[in-house]
Amino acid sequence: MAIQYGHNVFMFDLKLNNLSKKFDELLAVNDVSFNINSGEFFSVLGPSGCGKSTTLRMIAGFVMPSGGKILIGDNDITYQAPETRNIGFVFQNYAIFPHMNVFDNIAFGLKMRNINKNEIIDKVKKSLEQVNLLGFENRYQRELSGGEQQRVALARVLVTEPQILLLDEPLSALDKKLREEMKIWIKELQRKLKITTVYVTHDQSEALTMSDRIAIMDKGKISQIGTPTEIYEKPANKFVADFIGISNFLPLEKKSYSGDYINVSFLNQNFQLKINEKINQEFSSAVLRPEHIIFNPNTDKDICILEGTIDIISYQGAIIRYIINSNEFKFISEFSNLPESKIFKEGETVKFGFDINNLVLV
Amino acid sequence: MNFKKIYISYRPIFLVLPTFIFFLVFFIIPVASLFIIAFDKPVTGVLALQGEWTLKSFLRIWNRSLYFDAAVMSLTLAALVSIITLIIGYPLAYLIAKTENVARNTFLMILVLCAMQLDMVIRLFGLMVLLGDNGVINGALMYFDIIEKPIGLMYNKLGVVIGLVQFSLPFMILSLIGIIRGISPSVVEASRSLGASPNKTFWNIILPLSMPGILAGTLLVFAISISSYLVPALMGGWKVMMMPLHVYQQVAEMGKWQFGSAIAVVLFLTSLLSVLIYQKTAIRIAGGRA
Repeated sequence: MAIQYGHNVFMFDLKLNNLSKKFDELLAVNDVSFNINSGEFFSVLGPSGCGKSTTLRMIAGFVMPSGGKILIGDNDITYQAPETRNIGFVFQNYAIFPHMNVFDNIAFGLKMRNINKNEIIDKVKKSLEQVNLLGFENRYQRELSGGEQQRVALARVLVTEPQILLLDEPLSALDKKLREEMKIWIKELQRKLKITTVYVTHDQSEALTMSDRIAIMDKGKISQIGTPTEIYEKPANKFVADFIGISNFLPLEKKSYSGDYINVSFLNQNFQLKINEKINQEFSSAVLRPEHIIFNPNTDKDICILEGTIDIISYQGAIIRYIINSNEFKFISEFSNLPESKIFKEGETVKFGFDINNLVLV
Repeated sequence: MNFKKIYISYRPIFLVLPTFIFFLVFFIIPVASLFIIAFDKPVTGVLALQGEWTLKSFLRIWNRSLYFDAAVMSLTLAALVSIITLIIGYPLAYLIAKTENVARNTFLMILVLCAMQLDMVIRLFGLMVLLGDNGVINGALMYFDIIEKPIGLMYNKLGVVIGLVQFSLPFMILSLIGIIRGISPSVVEASRSLGASPNKTFWNIILPLSMPGILAGTLLVFAISISSYLVPALMGGWKVMMMPLHVYQQVAEMGKWQFGSAIAVVLFLTSLLSVLIYQKTAIRIAGGRA
């Protein structure tokens, strides 16, 4: 059955211009700017206390910014009251009204808009259909599981046809299996409705799987904005490389520039790296992802070959992680657990290496 | 079966045993005795049980409009005091509940609690100094020629209501604070974000969620007010004859133990009945949650 939400309803882009928030002396959000395209699924990812929730709460109007602007389309909403913004907000604890049943919870936003009763009944029904909760109308919060509350919270905001959907760590209270299901479900719903979405999380796997683009925040500032691929494969700085996935940081000694190349050394191995246009001039190390390490490498000119012993093996089912000690530098490496792959033992001496073209300077 | 086994399996009972014995001896037995005496033959000056059961005392209450009026007035005043206390107490309770700064919160709590520190009689004397015919308020109004003769601020129902409100306000505030503090801030934000103004959010979300505290507070204040002896005695000057005054008069001044007990029984049953009706109604209005 077709959902009645008109696509044009959701065609709104969101701009944050130099947004800041100071709590007493603490600069919680420091000069944050980004543009989110209409219909985009945009995640703000960072450790706790990085300012991501405050940023989201400023967009919703729960927190007034100390400086900067928030625009939906060309409409400046920076200092508007939350009830006039037409933004849907899904809370970490879902914030279901405990004294109202599911029907009244979902109808609340429509009642506040003075929509007539028959239309409300109609819209609530469609909305319940959309989140697969038909028949739950008379239940109260205490009679709903975490996942059901989550869906009621989503239905409650979507039924008001908001211009922007904001989600504040909506999956963190669910258990792991349900979280995986909800990730896909939310993403599909968002894609179907084409609603501009800002998703705040500290969980990188949520951000990487669901987002069109991700902003990484650290200490109130944006560290990098990019697609999941860019964020993982071309981290802009050490914080991003460290925060997303697992990284081996190879300490480099800078030697000299020669044309498009730079000569560096690591563990007494010299190699030449091609300088690309986006290189961080302040770099001090190279990021090597665990899956880029290979055993018994061939001797191409771009392969750095090392020798070491297996310190720790950690078996994780689909992958096997080895910690390799080479001259007291510990490499973390990961291998797919394929039927034909050889499994090493702890203490075994191995030859391993990596392609220097896979290194990212940070 | 040895003692230890019995002890372990019934441990919760052992824990409440001292309280139970205390309540039995010093509360249930005296109150029950009073109930029994009320049904005994009324003889002036005799407290001892005679064992001649009769409803004479109750018929006397029923036949005299004096006591019926007293019951109605006690109920009305107690209900009025509950409502006034709620209206005055709610904003303050809300302010304290929403004050997150620990120092400020503690300060406000101390302000509320210090009202309960002073003895009741002393507090009422203080009120009398303020409200009396030669008191601060009347004195000031007359000094500035706003009034010619003192206006009656006490020794009437107004004085009783002021006294009862003053006495019960901290109980109301304490009943409300915990409940208001338990309302999740995100529920309030959700309401705003869904399009409700602060005003609508208060009536649709905050007030209904405060219902358990409102119910507890008003019931407590009602019970305190309807059974108060000291306030109508001092602030009403024996002119506002609430039921506890009749009980005192019959027993202490006239030695009519049986009749006084009967009034006490009627007072108890009236307030119990009204509390039950109120609770049922309030719970139905609050949607079965309170």
